[in-house]
Amino acid sequence: MKYVLQRIGAMLLTLFLVMTLSFMVIRLMPMSLFENPEVPKEIQEKLEDKFHLNDPLPLQYYYFMEGIVTDLDFGISVKLRPGLEVFDIIVTRLPPTMLINFLSLFISIPLGLIFGTIAALKRNTVVDHVISVFVILFISIPSFVFASLLQYLFTFVWPLFPTLYESTAVTVGQMMHSLVLPIVALSLGPIATLTRYLRGELIENISSEYLLLARTKGLTKTQSIVRHAFRNSMMPITNTLVSLITGIMGGSLVVENMFAVPGTGGLLTKSIFAGDHFLTVAILIFYSAISLVTILVVDLCYGLIDPRVRVGGGK
Amino acid sequence: MKWIDRNNLPEELKNLPDSSFESLHQEDIKDEKFQTKPVGFFRDAMIRLSKSKVSMISVSCIVLIIILALLVPNITGYSFTEQNLGNKNLPPKIQGLEKLGIADGTRVLENRKKDALSDPDRYPEGSVLEILREFDSKGVAMVDVKVDYYKYVGAEDNRYHWFGTDYLGRDLLTRLFQGTRISLMIAFFSVLTNCFIGVIYGAISGYYGGKVDMILTHVAEVLDGMPYIVVTILFMILFGSGMVSIVLALTITGWIGTSRLIRSQFYRFKGREYVLAARTLGVPDLTLIFRHILPNCVGPLITRVMIAIPGAIFSESFLAYLGLGIKAPNPSIGVLLADGQKVLLQYPYQTLFPAVLISLLMIAFNLFSNGLRDALDPTKRGEE
Repeated sequence: MKYVLQRIGAMLLTLFLVMTLSFMVIRLMPMSLFENPEVPKEIQEKLEDKFHLNDPLPLQYYYFMEGIVTDLDFGISVKLRPGLEVFDIIVTRLPPTMLINFLSLFISIPLGLIFGTIAALKRNTVVDHVISVFVILFISIPSFVFASLLQYLFTFVWPLFPTLYESTAVTVGQMMHSLVLPIVALSLGPIATLTRYLRGELIENISSEYLLLARTKGLTKTQSIVRHAFRNSMMPITNTLVSLITGIMGGSLVVENMFAVPGTGGLLTKSIFAGDHFLTVAILIFYSAISLVTILVVDLCYGLIDPRVRVGGGK
Repeated sequence: MKWIDRNNLPEELKNLPDSSFESLHQEDIKDEKFQTKPVGFFRDAMIRLSKSKVSMISVSCIVLIIILALLVPNITGYSFTEQNLGNKNLPPKIQGLEKLGIADGTRVLENRKKDALSDPDRYPEGSVLEILREFDSKGVAMVDVKVDYYKYVGAEDNRYHWFGTDYLGRDLLTRLFQGTRISLMIAFFSVLTNCFIGVIYGAISGYYGGKVDMILTHVAEVLDGMPYIVVTILFMILFGSGMVSIVLALTITGWIGTSRLIRSQFYRFKGREYVLAARTLGVPDLTLIFRHILPNCVGPLITRVMIAIPGAIFSESFLAYLGLGIKAPNPSIGVLLADGQKVLLQYPYQTLFPAVLISLLMIAFNLFSNGLRDALDPTKRGEE
């Protein structure tokens, strides 16, 4: 329990830091909205009132934080969707992004585990070498290059999928049809990363002495590998999951935009281009929150898999 | 005869000729003399590295790309900012290869009016090569036609753009390698600053230990907790786009890994007897840190640097996709990729070349750093 609280505390601290940084971005950037001479004076004064621009900076900071914590008030969009609450915009844009991110994650974990196990069990055979070649390719080549390649091949040369997200898609099936390519593009890298790590860990565990002991006491090869080697390999793997998740989320920022998926990724790019800082910052805070929660879940899973983490929180 | 003090030998014994000695050993001595020089750690590592074919291929690939990046922008005859709006989006055309039908500067124009083909203003003399398809659309005769695009836009005969031109008519070959130059520079400088900060932070934290270490580690941990992408983007917005700000933004959280590595190495080595001995002799802390303990970290540090470089190249292109890349007329691989992506289906070659180059670069760096790690730490060989 103490472990859980500690993790949550660390998470909140990080979120707080991200928000502080966000505040700095909003307040230190030149904002045409407040300086635009075309906006009538009264409205400008109202805006200043709403955003507390006349108060000293620490007080502004306080209001900014208070707004977020109590009302989820991230400010209003200034340029992209003038006047709309940033929070509402994001909420409508969130589902496709979440779909892409989580599906990529859920596809890549089992596939990565399967390929990693195969490579480790068939070590130094043709299978292993083929897998290794693909691993190095997929780890090295960035997801957006894959996205370009897939887009060109499967929407132009062989038009199997729509080039851009079909905005008319209503059912999950239709949405999925549009989302296949971005999901594949995002999954390749993580699959390769997982494969590589699991292969290394499994090989180390399989050649270890405790596995020999397990065999000598009468377990079959399968039993010993599944019960002992695999389970021990999972612990370091859980650590790489964290970087996997942040990697997928980052990649999806770009890939979503390439396929015109109406998610937060495309919105972020547009808001950065437009200089709509309230929106940018709010999306980034959302991203931080989501990735931090995911990492927290992974951390807790870590405790589930490895009892030592649960017990030995302190020194 | 070790016990005789050499300095006090009588003068006549000092310069005895070899002939006055006789070997007690009757047979030939079978031992061979050491022909080789003693091999130090790094020499040993280099020998191991040079035996690995993959590493050698990847390192030559890297060197080749670096040489090209240094050379090509100066010899193409175009500058990377030179715009030529008449010649925009020209397809690739390469001397020699054009006769084989690859990169010959042709392009298929679809759905053109057939009547216009004979109009020399629209289709200059000799530009129409082949009519691929004739069809009828609402009573108007239409054609798909293959044209020599260079003649079609009225470019001079001796104009060659190996990789084509972009939407402003800039030569993409020049821009690609100028971009490689900039991307590599960003990667290099960001890794360098990361190393610099990481080494000092990690050294202090690891060497002094105790409370200092606790505080420093916690600070690093909190910083590390922030999602890397979010922090980088926020800082890029704060600093504005440009090379210096990209390097800074990549440094914000990038140094933490290095400092962790250095710290753990310091913990390993600071308790060793030789350090204790040096301290007993009155060696000051700074000398201990940099002269005696830090050299132990060089191996892992080099490996880490090599792994960090492709990461930095990746981050740079990632930022370019988000519109936070390098400032406008300057290219970088990421900027070129992002620009090419916008016209991917019309002009795929504009994405193809930067995509191939960044992939090659990333693969080469990754393979090389794998090889380097194996060479510097043979116990970890094959673990991947």
